[in-house]
This record gives sequence, C-alpha cells and structure tokens, in this order.
Amino acid sequence: MTNEIRDDLKYTDSHEWIKVKDDIAIIGITDHAQSELTDIVFAELPVIGKELKKGDELCVVESVKSVSEIYSPISGKIINVNKKLEDNPEIINENPYDDGWIVEISITNEKEIVNLLDPKEYKKLIE
Amino acid sequence: MLIKSPIHDVHEKFAAKFTEFAGFKMPIYYSSIKNEHITVREKVGLFDVSHMSNIWISGSDAEKLISLTTIEDASKIKNEMSQYTAILREDGTIIDDVIFMHLNDEYMMIPNAGMSEKIADWLRKKAKENNLTVKINDVSRNYTILAIQGPDSRNTLQKLTDTDLNKIGFFGCSYIHIAGKECIISHTGYTGELGFELQINNKEKPEVLFNKIISEGGEYGIKPIGLGARDTLRLEKSFLLAGNEFKDGRTPLEALLNWAINWNHEFIGKTSLLKQKEMGNYERLTNLLCLENGVPRNGCEIQKDGLKVGIVTSGTISPCLNKGIAMAYVKSEYREIDNILDILVRGKKIKAKVTKPPFVKKDWAKLK
Repeated sequence: MTNEIRDDLKYTDSHEWIKVKDDIAIIGITDHAQSELTDIVFAELPVIGKELKKGDELCVVESVKSVSEIYSPISGKIINVNKKLEDNPEIINENPYDDGWIVEISITNEKEIVNLLDPKEYKKLIE
Repeated sequence: MLIKSPIHDVHEKFAAKFTEFAGFKMPIYYSSIKNEHITVREKVGLFDVSHMSNIWISGSDAEKLISLTTIEDASKIKNEMSQYTAILREDGTIIDDVIFMHLNDEYMMIPNAGMSEKIADWLRKKAKENNLTVKINDVSRNYTILAIQGPDSRNTLQKLTDTDLNKIGFFGCSYIHIAGKECIISHTGYTGELGFELQINNKEKPEVLFNKIISEGGEYGIKPIGLGARDTLRLEKSFLLAGNEFKDGRTPLEALLNWAINWNHEFIGKTSLLKQKEMGNYERLTNLLCLENGVPRNGCEIQKDGLKVGIVTSGTISPCLNKGIAMAYVKSEYREIDNILDILVRGKKIKAKVTKPPFVKKDWAKLK
C-alpha cells in the first residue's frame, strides 16, 4: 500500500488531487486512490470544451473489478485531456501525480480552491 | 452475518483484501488481480475456495439419484473419476453446475457457494419422490477446499506427497496424503491451466497445508490468489459463473453445455431440453472480443443496427489479451463467428467481434 502525498497539491475527500497554476488546474487521482483501486484498465475521458461544476462527474476509471467515478474538485472548462490514458490507463497506477494526470481545466471560480484540502488535511483523512 | 473461511486467519496474514461473495467473506486479491492472474497462467497459484459446497451422497441408489438429477449418466463415471455436470429443474433450466467425484461407494458433490442447502434439499426430495435409498450429508462447513493451479502446480504438490501425481489423469480423483494430511484430490480446476483441487477436513488443520504449499511452491514463484483473478481466469476460458451465466433460468443448451449432456439416460429436465432443441431458435451464450477500448460488464446490452439482440452476463478486460472480453446471451441469428456487434457501455457503443471460445487458448504462457 502506497500513500504518497505531495506538498504542492490540493486534495478532495473523494481522493482527487489538483494542481493550480494561475487560472489553469491539472486534476488526477491520488496515490492512495490508485492503490485502493489497483489495476486500472480503462479511463473514459471527457470531451474537451465540456463545462463542469464543482462535484460533477469528470470521468470514469475502471479497475478489473470496479467502476469508479472521478469528480471535479472545482468548476471549470475542460481544455485538455491526457490522451495517453486511452491506450495505457495503467499509467495512473504507475505515476498518479505526473504522467497519470487526467484533465486540465480552466478555472471559472477561484474561490472554490480555498475549500480544498491541504496535504496535511488529506493525510489525516486517509490515515 | 458473513461466513468466513476456516482458514481466514491465513488470509489476514497474507494481507488479503476481502469481498463478500454469496454470503461468504473471501479474499478478492492479495497484491493485484492482474498480477495474480498472470502468476497462475505462467507459474502457480493457490486459491482458498472453501465457499464452495460439499455434499456426500451414499447408499445403494446414490448412482441412480445422480443420474436422475444431473445431465450426466453417473453409471459411466468410474471409481476415482470426477465429472462436471448440471442439475436442472423440470423446465430444463439450470439450478446449479457441480462437480461430483466417485470415491468407492460414495459420491462427493461440489455445488456452488451458498447452494448446499438448496441442492441437498432438492436431492432428498427427488430421492423420496422416486423411492431411492440414499443418504445425503451436507458437510460444506466441515471442509476447506484449496485449488492449486498453473503450469507448476503438479511440481509444487509433488514435493508434498509420495503418490505419483502423473498417475492422476484429467478429472481423476482419489484419497491422498499431502504433507501428511488426508485429502481428496481431483485433477480439476476453474482456470484452464494444469491444476488440482483438494478437499480437506477441517480437523486436519488445513491452514498448515495452505502454508506448506506456499512455502514449497516458493521455488516456482507461487502466490496466494483471490477471487478477483479466479473470475478473470475462468472468463478467459469461457467457463460459466453461477451468479452470472445462469441466474435467470438458462438451460444447458443456451449455456453451451451441450457437450456435457448425456442424452442416453433419463434425467429431470430432459423433456424440456428436447423440446427446446427441436424448436432451435433460442439465445445462446456467445463470446465477444472488444475491438475498441472499454470494459463490458454484466447487464450491458448487445445491439445490432440499434436493435437489442442480447445481454452481457460477464465481462472484463482480459489480463492476457489486454482487451475487453464478454460472455453474452445473443439471439441465434446474430452469433456467427466474426459477426460484429455493439456492446452498450454507459450509453456508448463499443464494437465487438463474435469469437470461438475460449478467449485464451491452452498453454498461453508457452505460446505467447
């Protein structure tokens, strides 16, 4: 069981991570989440241009045994998806914080970022 | 309240993740389903399948009762041989698929998880209706069942017994001592690999046997394997799963068990099967190999040109093929080999091709 938590990211209680860079954010699932899911075999990515509200379903990842919804930590518009995951979804298991990123969004409501969990809070949640 | 395996503590020690299955709390995986799956295809794995049932059938009419209640003619099954078969209702639909072992004057039947009472009651009822002298003894909770499966399963077990395992042919069975413990061994399995299954009375301390097999198998790379990989392994070989392939009243003709039907004897459900056979036009279990990314799952609709032509009963990503695979009941006119159908996954169509079973051929690890 691995549970890496990075200091430069924000988190949700549904185990997504988000990296904010000006008005753009990159989103993925945490090391803890990938480890719980194990063996991700499919990622159904959203369409570029889709607008999401905080908490909307962002995409679906499937492991051998289960189907899991990934939720958007904040509101925004999808501007990029990680195409590599279409043929190699296992990258999420191997490298959840770098190569295993899922989508990039343009942020529509900065204020929502404040409510996300910081690394310490997320650590508490999964302990 | 979930029933735990008699050797539950062993699984805790191996840090298993558990799942609920047919009223039992059993390991779903220890490390990873994919990894365990490949271990069984390439090396050897050890499963605890104690959730399966054990029923002793004895008495002067035991053979007659089995012939009456299954699609097999039990008189054809010699001593120290086992047989895969199915128990049907009068309307020809499957109640359960089972293995029975012929051991001297008795038979041990292995119904699926959670089916022991239902099957034992059914057998008693049919014995009574037909004035058969039998004794039915449900001993499911007295036995631990281990399955050792994979190319090195024989090598591993051979280290623990003086009996020459090469002499136990496919579907052979007998009493044996393994690591000094009395077991019933059968050359059977649910993975399509070389393998054996062991029935061991709980008085014999089966947890010690489990640990011994794991330590002796170390040189071959043995691992404990959970139910997750058990499911993907059987699906690659197109073997039926009770809760999926015949839970809604399917007949052995629909479930492609034609090969297991012995028509030269009288059995419950035969009249209905003959009728269905004559009618001909019924849905049949069909192998579908996905041509696009996506994971077919139980309940997904099968379409052709937007019309419903079938339904998925089991689906996954095949760890060996790395593609979506599904077993589905499909209308007979749409299931020709190479026919292209759509599987509807969350409203999205995934193209899939009808293929011949199994998805993964024999000796996959050697041939790949």
